[in-house]
Amino acid sequence: MSNALTPQPVLLGKSGLVFLAVVLGAAVLVPALNLLTSPDSALHVPTYVVSLLGKYLTYALLALSVDLIWGYVGILSLGHGAFFALGGYAMGMYLMRQIGPRGVYGDPVLPDFMVFLNWKELPWFWHGFDMFPFAALMVLLAPGILALVFGWFAFRSRVTGVYLSIITQAMTFALLLAFFRNDMGFGGNNGLTDFKDILGFNIQADGTRLVLFVLSALALALGYVLCRFLVRSHFGKVLIAIRDAETRVRFTGYRAENYKVVAFVVSAMLAGIAGALYVPQVGIINPGEFSPANSIEIIVWVAVGGRGTLVGAALGAVLVNYAKTYFTSGLLAPYWLFMLGGLFVAVTLFLPKGIVGTFYDWRRARAPAPEDLAPDDLAPPDKLPEPKPAE
Amino acid sequence: MSNLFSHARRVAGRAMAGAAALAIAGVAVPAAAQETIKVGVLHSLSGTMAISETTLKDTVLFMVDQQNAAGGVLGKKLVPVVVDPASNWPLFAEKARELLAKEKVAVVFGCWTSVSRKSVLPVFKELNGILFYPVQYEGEESERNVFYTGAAPNQQAIPAVDYLMENEGVKRWVLAGTDYVYPRTTNKILEAYLKSKGVAAEDIMINYTPFGHSDWQTIVADIKKFGSAGKKTAVVSTINGDANVPFYKELGNQGIKATDIPVVAFSVGEEELAGIDTKPLVGHLAAWNYFQSVDVPENADFIKKWRGYIKNDKRVTNDPMEATVIGFNMWVKAVEKAGTTDPDKVIPALIGVSVPNLTGGFSTMMPNHHITKPVLIGEIKDDGQFDVVEKTPGLIVAEEWSPYLEGSKDLIADWRSPMNCGNFNVKTGKCGAQ
Amino acid sequence: MISRGLPSRLGCVLLLALGLIAGALLLPRAAVAQGAAPDISTPLAQLTTDKYDDTEAALGALALSGSPAAAGIVAALADGRLMYSPATRQVLIKTPQGGLVDAATGQPVAEAPPGAKAVRVNNRIRRAIEAASGTLALVNPDPAKRLEAASAVMRARDEAALPALDAALAKEADAKVKSALTLARASILIGKAGVPDADRIAAIATVGEQGNQDALAVLRSVPADASPAVKAAAQDAIAGIERSLAIWSVGQNIWYGVSLGSVLLLAAIGLAITFGVMGVINMAHGEMVMLGAYVTFVVQELIRTYNPALFDLSLLIAIPVAFLFTGLIGVLIERTVIRFLYGRALETLLATWGISLILQQAIRTAFGPTNREVGAPGWMSGAFELGQLSITYGRLWIIVFAMFVFVALLATLRLTRIGLEMRAVTQNRRMAASMGIRTNWVDAMTFGLGSGIAGIAGVALSQIDNVSPNLGQSYIIDSFLVVVFGGVGNLWGTLVGAMSLGIANKMLEPYAGAVLGKIALLVIVILFIQKRPRGLFALKGRAIES
Repeated sequence: MSNALTPQPVLLGKSGLVFLAVVLGAAVLVPALNLLTSPDSALHVPTYVVSLLGKYLTYALLALSVDLIWGYVGILSLGHGAFFALGGYAMGMYLMRQIGPRGVYGDPVLPDFMVFLNWKELPWFWHGFDMFPFAALMVLLAPGILALVFGWFAFRSRVTGVYLSIITQAMTFALLLAFFRNDMGFGGNNGLTDFKDILGFNIQADGTRLVLFVLSALALALGYVLCRFLVRSHFGKVLIAIRDAETRVRFTGYRAENYKVVAFVVSAMLAGIAGALYVPQVGIINPGEFSPANSIEIIVWVAVGGRGTLVGAALGAVLVNYAKTYFTSGLLAPYWLFMLGGLFVAVTLFLPKGIVGTFYDWRRARAPAPEDLAPDDLAPPDKLPEPKPAE
Repeated sequence: MSNLFSHARRVAGRAMAGAAALAIAGVAVPAAAQETIKVGVLHSLSGTMAISETTLKDTVLFMVDQQNAAGGVLGKKLVPVVVDPASNWPLFAEKARELLAKEKVAVVFGCWTSVSRKSVLPVFKELNGILFYPVQYEGEESERNVFYTGAAPNQQAIPAVDYLMENEGVKRWVLAGTDYVYPRTTNKILEAYLKSKGVAAEDIMINYTPFGHSDWQTIVADIKKFGSAGKKTAVVSTINGDANVPFYKELGNQGIKATDIPVVAFSVGEEELAGIDTKPLVGHLAAWNYFQSVDVPENADFIKKWRGYIKNDKRVTNDPMEATVIGFNMWVKAVEKAGTTDPDKVIPALIGVSVPNLTGGFSTMMPNHHITKPVLIGEIKDDGQFDVVEKTPGLIVAEEWSPYLEGSKDLIADWRSPMNCGNFNVKTGKCGAQ
Repeated sequence: MISRGLPSRLGCVLLLALGLIAGALLLPRAAVAQGAAPDISTPLAQLTTDKYDDTEAALGALALSGSPAAAGIVAALADGRLMYSPATRQVLIKTPQGGLVDAATGQPVAEAPPGAKAVRVNNRIRRAIEAASGTLALVNPDPAKRLEAASAVMRARDEAALPALDAALAKEADAKVKSALTLARASILIGKAGVPDADRIAAIATVGEQGNQDALAVLRSVPADASPAVKAAAQDAIAGIERSLAIWSVGQNIWYGVSLGSVLLLAAIGLAITFGVMGVINMAHGEMVMLGAYVTFVVQELIRTYNPALFDLSLLIAIPVAFLFTGLIGVLIERTVIRFLYGRALETLLATWGISLILQQAIRTAFGPTNREVGAPGWMSGAFELGQLSITYGRLWIIVFAMFVFVALLATLRLTRIGLEMRAVTQNRRMAASMGIRTNWVDAMTFGLGSGIAGIAGVALSQIDNVSPNLGQSYIIDSFLVVVFGGVGNLWGTLVGAMSLGIANKMLEPYAGAVLGKIALLVIVILFIQKRPRGLFALKGRAIES
């Protein structure tokens, strides 16, 4: 905690500025290269790459949201995919309602999957999703309220550590099973798909894709600034203190559970926004997003990039997903799980602080670093307590 | 187990060699691109669906191999492009886009689950690709860019129910399925069909279970109970792949024999049975459009070549493989007819194309982008194969829009001009989506 | 009830049964008296048409013909040894020794005519054969066979079997078989037309005493034109049975729950060591279970190839092999990866997740992605009745096995030196080290033990689930839930956790359905953890503050 008293806390720091420059630069450069260069040019960015990058950016935002609670509050959520999926479903429901009478059955109100399961009217929870502002609100509220209720119960009861991780996993697993049910009214296993347009723009048009990409980049940049602001504020100092010694924080008079709930809800909402931006770019949302394996993967992204660094989380998400895209094609396709698995093992063994964390260490070792570059107080402790005894 | 290790080592070695080859190939490919036609293969090679889909990837590679040996298509060599969507539905969409936009493949063979097909549909429409979908499914779809070579419900489910009614005198029905679209739709259709045949509502029991359900004790006991009402009872199973093995194991354990309560399944084929001890299951049924045991020269020839290619003389064949083979041959024929691989020319050329199937007849691509098929009912034998006990006399045309469903009974599909529509409403005289 | 729907078919079965009895009991004498075998050329010709209707008709005619050859032909058909040649219209019997006999003449045939095929059998034919051979076996000298035959006759409920039943009843000395015969006779009387009311009511009483599902089915088959008294008696009996069955069904659900609980226990108990005791968030645990299942497969394959006689022992052989193999893999993982991560519990999640991906893909590459067949030894198949509980041997053995593993593990930790060292190291590593315990070695052994236990769980799970590369994935979430619910670091907690989750699941399932039941259970666990944030059996003392 010695560095907590540094004279000048910097909001962004050098790495943060570099990060913002890269993200915002991409937001300008990628559309420009897509539109202004000819398809034969070596610099040309094809539209499918734009969508792919857009997808990575939403994953990066999701990873950011996880890093906020895992890296800075010590909450290992194995169910964050649920918040992402809920945001996605809220957006998906809006997109479904936008289809209107252009579905295969031509029903003006009911989505296709309801028509062919013989539903007669729209379930109550589908009302309002024809209006974008309402849907946008739901993108925040659905994950936010779930996180509030879940967090309020769990943190007040002082459920911590692996117990918390496992019940977040149980939460997303329960939601997975529930959304699989066709009787729930969310399209069952097929989920929501066949979207036509968003706010009146054709969802498949190149222009729409570019705008969605730019929006994703902006969301990531804003999300980063928000997270950075939070963890640098007094509020953030308390969060970090909770991470490192929750009991002591309680004894000093802070209501740790309230801090945790707020962080958890903010994180869930960020995940929801990521989900809402993800759905129009990939064109489908289905219960698979709730699967516990997906949530574990998010943790893996953050760990690969560097827990408790924010920038690292985003970087990890992009790198791991790029690796996935690259390895699942061509000659390597049958062996990509070996590569991915090997990567995870190697990162844990050789880069225990993740790529960015290791980079910070390296910089610090080379030259005594200025405060803003090596946020020492923010990094998680090297060692967690000893494992618990038997019996 | 040393075997496993040495294999793993060999695999790792191969992977590394592959990586090196890829690095070189990355530079070398464009030069040769003119003389080849790329064929996309979009089947999961990892994750939960790998269990079913890997075989289909091998089937496409086998067909490409055969076709190249026979001189390729339009004098050009076919080059397969294999990707692994890893049983992850959004990844299916991403990979489809990669195949069409980056690799510029002429045709894609792929998908197994409905959700994967739904996920890639918008991509194929947007980029005007051709997808051959080789698995039996719930119908309720006909798209310009998709050709469905698997069975629609009327090409599998209804003949099976008819067989049980006529030959086994079944009066009471359990419709057991995994809770997703295919079983839901099939059961809706069957329920309407059974009621139209005079089966009372209390003689139909419908049960849904989650994916991968593994504890069947309660449900099998319920089926047993339902079957003890004094009427001949049968189970119509639309239980999905993974859950079948524990289901059949439980049936065997609780002593339900095919002579008491026969189970007819629509998703259990030779591949699935390869993982079960079939002795307690003898007599249970499956309905497909192809069985490995079909005794015709075309099939014997196919099995022989396939086993030679895969270098395993025990490898089984199954229905989705036949559908893949039919789809592949249809595409080759249509490309040769059109003289180009341009989808705008090939898509219309595909309609009316007729190729031999593996059960001794011909299958034809109809204007609704589905194919004609014979329906076969097989009883499980103790060697994991099926004994074909019934074959429909003629070919059955797919009803892509089921007349037994409220929403779709007025819809038809015809992709020939002037209609050119996948969901034409005969009542309003309009193409549905417009 | 079947009879009313299918008069013609029942007729065939009936004739077949009657004819075969006659053939077996009386006709050898008659044939000798007449000195010439009856003509069976027509039914034999029918067997060569490859149509089920013809086959069934042929069976009926054969049985009626009284030919001494009939029984042999039917037996051959039942075993799939009956061949025909479509070209020469000849019917041949393959003898169990592999020779060929002409069915018409009884003369050996040197070589099958070209194109000879087996006469096909489907469920319908199989049922007919079953009913008939059931009737035939009523006079078998072996009481066990007679008992089996009596229940076969009861299931078939063939009126045609009545005379044979009466004859058998008159001669029967064995009390058990006699009561089974009485029951079979009563079952037939209930559905038979023209039976006096008194007989029928007596029959209803006899059947009603059984009190099981089969009895219900029989009682429901009282014809609609029966007298009101008969109907009332049947109604009463049905209501009585349903009441008692409702009570039994609670017991049955508990049994299912215990059985599911023992599966959960098996899946989770290895994790209770690697995760619960060592604190490693072992995501590769499921893959250890999967490896165990594949070891079982390999062991069975080897046994099938080299010594099929040992097949019934294959699982017993697989248990130590699986333990050693997965245990070794576990030690290997611990030495190469986990040991660098002690004290960084959350990072073990990342590394073991990677390992699980690698193991899955390794198995997929080595054995292919499809399911592998693991057979059940004879002593694990089948079921028995305990009161009205139906208990399958497979499940029973799994419960016994789970308990055995639990006790053995508990004993290892409590009573052996290595167990003592394991507890010492996990409680206070430095102190243990200064007492001269080789902590590295103990760590490796502990992880190996947990993995080995997971491996033998795989041997048991191979009996009820898919043996595929995905096997482990389906158990990992439940396993973690069980360990956490029971309380991390406490074996008893894992036992109680597994059993309560199993039983709760099975009690919920009949009301809520499989999916909603599972969801409800997950919500219950989440709420429960709020009440007891450290699980059922929470550790007390300072340890929990860490």
